[in-house]
Amino acid sequence: MTKILQIFSLSKTFPGQVALDNATFDVEEGEVHALVGQNGSGKSTLIKVLAGFHQPDPGHHVTMRDEIFAMGDAQAAAAAGIRFVHQDLGLVEAVSAVENLALGFGYRTGFAKRIKWREETKRAQKALSDLGFDINVRVPVAALGGAARTGVAIARALQDAEQNISILVLDEPTASLPGADVDRLFEAVRRLKARGISVVFVSHHLEEVFEIADRVTVLRDAKVVATRNTSELDMPTLIELIVGHKVTAATVNREVDASLAPRLQVTGLSGLGLDDVSFDVRPGEVLGVAGLTGSGRDTLIPSLSGAIDRLGEVAIDGKALKSADPGAAISAGMAFVPADRLRNGIIALMSVRSNTTIANVKRNKTGLRLNHKKEKAETREWIDRLSVVTTGSEAPISTLSGGNQQKVMMSRSFRLEPRVLLLDEPTQGVDIGAKEEIHTFVDSAAATGSAVVVASTDSAELARLCDRVIVMHRGAIVDTVLRNAGTGAGSMAERIDQVLLAGSSLVAHK
Amino acid sequence: MNESLKSEGKHMSGNNETATASGAPQSMAPQKSLLAKLGLDRFSALYLWGAFMVIFGLWKTDTFLSVASVKLIAGENVAVGILALAFLIPFCASTFDLSIGAVMSLSVVITCFLSDEKSRSFNMPVGYAALIAVLACTCVGVVSGFVVVKLKVNSFIATLGIGQVVSAIVLKLSFNRQITGTFSSTFERFGRGDILGIPVVFYYLAVLGIICWFVLEHTPIGRYIYATGGNPEAARLAGLRTDRIMWGSLIASSFLAGVAGVVLSAKVGLFTSATGPNYLFPAIAAVFFGASQLKGRPNVGGTFIALYALAFGIKGLQLVVGTDSYWVNPMFQGTTLIIAVALASQRGVAKIRKRKAAASA
Repeated sequence: MTKILQIFSLSKTFPGQVALDNATFDVEEGEVHALVGQNGSGKSTLIKVLAGFHQPDPGHHVTMRDEIFAMGDAQAAAAAGIRFVHQDLGLVEAVSAVENLALGFGYRTGFAKRIKWREETKRAQKALSDLGFDINVRVPVAALGGAARTGVAIARALQDAEQNISILVLDEPTASLPGADVDRLFEAVRRLKARGISVVFVSHHLEEVFEIADRVTVLRDAKVVATRNTSELDMPTLIELIVGHKVTAATVNREVDASLAPRLQVTGLSGLGLDDVSFDVRPGEVLGVAGLTGSGRDTLIPSLSGAIDRLGEVAIDGKALKSADPGAAISAGMAFVPADRLRNGIIALMSVRSNTTIANVKRNKTGLRLNHKKEKAETREWIDRLSVVTTGSEAPISTLSGGNQQKVMMSRSFRLEPRVLLLDEPTQGVDIGAKEEIHTFVDSAAATGSAVVVASTDSAELARLCDRVIVMHRGAIVDTVLRNAGTGAGSMAERIDQVLLAGSSLVAHK
Repeated sequence: MNESLKSEGKHMSGNNETATASGAPQSMAPQKSLLAKLGLDRFSALYLWGAFMVIFGLWKTDTFLSVASVKLIAGENVAVGILALAFLIPFCASTFDLSIGAVMSLSVVITCFLSDEKSRSFNMPVGYAALIAVLACTCVGVVSGFVVVKLKVNSFIATLGIGQVVSAIVLKLSFNRQITGTFSSTFERFGRGDILGIPVVFYYLAVLGIICWFVLEHTPIGRYIYATGGNPEAARLAGLRTDRIMWGSLIASSFLAGVAGVVLSAKVGLFTSATGPNYLFPAIAAVFFGASQLKGRPNVGGTFIALYALAFGIKGLQLVVGTDSYWVNPMFQGTTLIIAVALASQRGVAKIRKRKAAASA
């Protein structure tokens, strides 16, 4: 294959920090090239320099189709046919796909600048069906599913087809997509590949790398560690390249004392997407919740925590909790880490300290006054305990990476010494290293006698953490997978996946 | 496996600590502009204040730099200052209270109305009248809180509407006429005397300011208020009673507006229907301008600095323009507010750019 883009010795230095160190990277024609690495490894810097958002340090040598290519120049990148779809997609949610496509290109107009709506609609429909999306292009983008929204963003990036599009960069396109949507997105990527377009694909999900990518480039500590064909790699090797050392999946040797009375009792829980769900969790037990999006898995934790309304009874140590009242739940000994950290978790303008202590500020009060010194000391303890990477307790939380923000969320819950701990997608958008640290933390919560409930779309994560996993389908529990019924974590994940796939048939049986 | 990661983390934070120790937080030392070094961003109001003192001091040395005019400015702006505190508290919780101008009028009218022996048969001791006035105003806050929290009307709209309703009550009570309170000399001493050469009302502002500062910066309640303002849903999920916090902040603001009215009655003893609205804008201007000062979020210290910087500027300009100076006030308030907020958002933009650059590293 011909290499269309070749980058040699590319560096980028920020004040006090080398973000990219002497990187070598190339893209072949019509390949899917994955870019992986932990947060802060330099992959976003590489993308941003390519996009012209950052200026690279002098001394690099870059060619595009055998001609010298000006790095750090947005117009040169556009002229060379390099297109970007960023993680947030940059769509205007309130208007339709047709209008979103026109945002980048302008409308075709007729007499008196009237917009030729019919033509525009047809054009949008064609652009999207070329990618495999047969959707209504006239409804607001907000009403579309995740994959379709990404499709609109890709279509918009590619639409000036007179240009010869050579490379499409997808920056974490699957970060917030449920499994079925990921498949649709990959179908679109395969179609692009068939059109001869190279796709650079940034992802935290390594199984996706093996599924879609031809080659993978690994970055670690601002350096390119390796570029390999995915066919010559396996998962453990890839993880080792990313983390820099061997990772052995920790196995949990935990015995749940079955003689103990249940700590969390859920009886006849109904509500948004839930239909008469009942289960118990004992002290020291970790219960997993698996299920596709819309199965009830995604609304179970919010219903339990009181983030949304519910019917049915939720009780801690026999004492029933009020519905839709997170404050009351916390006072009763519950703590929770909601999914969607940015919307429901962090208070972006506040410091790491304020974010850590917000669920119980009064603890550090002396008299009427808040004891700032004591509070800072306590926050520093948590920062150490979870190895949060930050400049200190006073740093605004928005300056932290996703994984470190999530660790602060964990500290916020854990310092309540909860009797019941609820975690919703605890490692979403978190890199491998931080993920394992968060998992270790969940283990220690169980060890102190908390009843833990973890909802996750990641079967491997559930297998790693849980003693028991309930699988949900259409708002009800359709099956339970136990840890001890199999041999190891791997087989447990497989069994969860099997049940997930068989979900609909299981309901049919009932 | 965590070992190497941990050491990595420690290594990084170690680097940053040395940066902090050398007096350059955020490790942005080499890029720190002259502007930032002089503190022009966070202390722009102080610089502005200083500039006014120098310019008008040279221009109108005898009048502007006299003790009398400093005292005048200090005392004249107390009602605006209390009103600014009233606006500040809900504003920290991202809740607007635009009714405070009207509520202050209500307080003035009730105080004058109940204690005036000519107009009606109430002829109440002025202390009781003032107490009833403040209570009535606090009730307005309870109602706005209900509308915002229970009826879920956007606070901007809700308090704008409530403000109109309160204005209507004020007009009805005052028959749209000028009301003059004939107060006992004790009450007037509360409004017009000096202590240690400083107008007595200035002490009220100072005490209220210190209380608000303490509550916002040094108590859990202050933390709750800022958290609610920062991300209401995240605050609710952290167990905070965000509804009560918003409601309470609106009650506090109406209470403070009521107190502002009582202080104004004691100081001026006069009501016209234009009283309230004229005080609202300068109060809001001080809070918005003040939000860009000291901390980069709404705060008591910044509000006061902004308040008096603007007040001295206006007084100087009035002295320069002379008798024809009635237009100076709104013109000055409007332009300085826009310029100050524009400067602050420039700083915000620069900060975001820097942060993005750092985050993508």
